[in-house]
Amino acid sequence: MLKNPAHPKKGNLKEKECKFTKAGIGYIDYKDVDTLARFVNDQGKILPRRVTGTSAKYQRQLALAIKRARHLGLLPFVAENLR
Amino acid sequence: MKTNFYEVTFIINPVLEEEQVKEVKEGFETFVTGKGAEIDEIDEWGIKRLAYEMDGKNSGYYVNAYFHAPGTIVSDLEKYFKLQENIMRNIVLKYDNKMLKFRDLQKKGKLPVVFVETPEEEV
Repeated sequence: MLKNPAHPKKGNLKEKECKFTKAGIGYIDYKDVDTLARFVNDQGKILPRRVTGTSAKYQRQLALAIKRARHLGLLPFVAENLR
Repeated sequence: MKTNFYEVTFIINPVLEEEQVKEVKEGFETFVTGKGAEIDEIDEWGIKRLAYEMDGKNSGYYVNAYFHAPGTIVSDLEKYFKLQENIMRNIVLKYDNKMLKFRDLQKKGKLPVVFVETPEEEV
């Protein structure tokens, strides 16, 4: 991640790994709400790759799956319980 | 004729009586089989809470169906769902090779688990 050995954050940052690559899954299902909900913040926004460590290939699939789930009312577009 | 594998999920108006819900489901089945589809599985999730309000309703009756059908079914289904007043939302997916593999594993119950450990408990 950080190449520079003198970087102040070196050693403090954990190497993130893609959960989907690790599991060796071929397709991310929009019906699997429990998994999808982990990649969404409490506002209902899709978390960026830099936060979750998901690989680009799976981030694309994940975004599509989350959007499908939203269309079907399985996941919120915007969480209501704010304010 | 060459057929593809499709998955359809739709939400039926929850306000309907049980009889009417059944009618809508059966109507869908007969429509699909009439268009040359071979139903693989129909999975009813029943009434579920929606994540947000849809047409003034907070819940919906979910039906999830899998079938083999010729490609013409997509446009037919599009028209069909538009005409159905009691179906609030729908999604039609054509399965590609990766998705078929996923489905195979799912049927056998051998799906790899994405979250082995639960990160939330660690914190």
